[in-house]
Amino acid sequence: MLVNTYSKKVFNLAYQFAGSYEEAEDLTQDIFFKLHKSIEKYDFEKNFSAWLLTLARNHLIDQYRKTKWEKKSRDDFNEHLLSADTRSGPEESVLIQECKKIVWAGFNLLSPEIRMAVILRDIQGKKYEEIAEIMDLPLGTIKSRVNRGRLQLAKILKEKREKENGL
Amino acid sequence: MGCEKIEELLSPYLEDELTREQRQAVESHLRTCPHCAELLSLMREARVSLSSFPEVGVSEELTEKLYAIPQGRKKFRFVSEVLLRPSSQPIMAAATVLLVVASFYVFHPQRSAINRSIERQFHIGVSKVEKIYAEAESITQSLGEYKDNLLVSLKNLRLFRGNEDEQPKT
Repeated sequence: MLVNTYSKKVFNLAYQFAGSYEEAEDLTQDIFFKLHKSIEKYDFEKNFSAWLLTLARNHLIDQYRKTKWEKKSRDDFNEHLLSADTRSGPEESVLIQECKKIVWAGFNLLSPEIRMAVILRDIQGKKYEEIAEIMDLPLGTIKSRVNRGRLQLAKILKEKREKENGL
Repeated sequence: MGCEKIEELLSPYLEDELTREQRQAVESHLRTCPHCAELLSLMREARVSLSSFPEVGVSEELTEKLYAIPQGRKKFRFVSEVLLRPSSQPIMAAATVLLVVASFYVFHPQRSAINRSIERQFHIGVSKVEKIYAEAESITQSLGEYKDNLLVSLKNLRLFRGNEDEQPKT
């Protein structure tokens, strides 16, 4: 039941955050192990999904601090994501495809807290209030982190294009 | 408002969360600042591409592993409960002592001297056992001799014969 409902959600969060498919599989296993270990502590009045994502977020950021993934390169966008990209279809502009690749690689340059906030807001489409609950931070801090993350990604895009255009 | 302040307002501007005054201030800045206008356009582009990021499927192998976690935890819990049970404590203590002795032996710098001493003690033990065995054999032998002598003496005493002096009745 738990695996069916939440494995994809947790795995995708881990993959988007870590950028490595193998690493994300290990992290998902760790998170589910922790989930089974601490499920007795779950308060039934709280939102289960948010509680699980808080657990996942804590584990991902802790592991990031221990291993410093930013030194490792992320999987190539084409490796797993392009084949899974069935929503956009062939009509999607080359510009957006190229932008996705740059943004995917650019995540490694964001701090773990900012990266997590951007993933939850812009990829997973969560409300700011939900993100504040998951990250256990004030709403203003979350909004500021999302803005900083988007600005950084915009600057990365700009830099990359300028390089490609030989400016 | 300077570029720095405007940058802070770009996300709320994109998400339509500004007051009318703030919105007007941002728009008037954007008309005169190509740098901030470009940033806003790139932010919008990044948001669009992020929102259409694909979801990756979970492999069957991982799903199986995730299903196996509760069983693994049950086994672990059983093992830990058995090991931490008060009745297991003497066994654990004995195992710890054994480990300490074994590690003392394995990591001792004069291990060869210990080996020699163990070997010597072993030989002494073996020769003692051999001696005891030989003594036991000689005792068995003398006991056998005693037994034979006893049987001969008993025969001579005619304890197990019938009354030879009695005449058969006619």
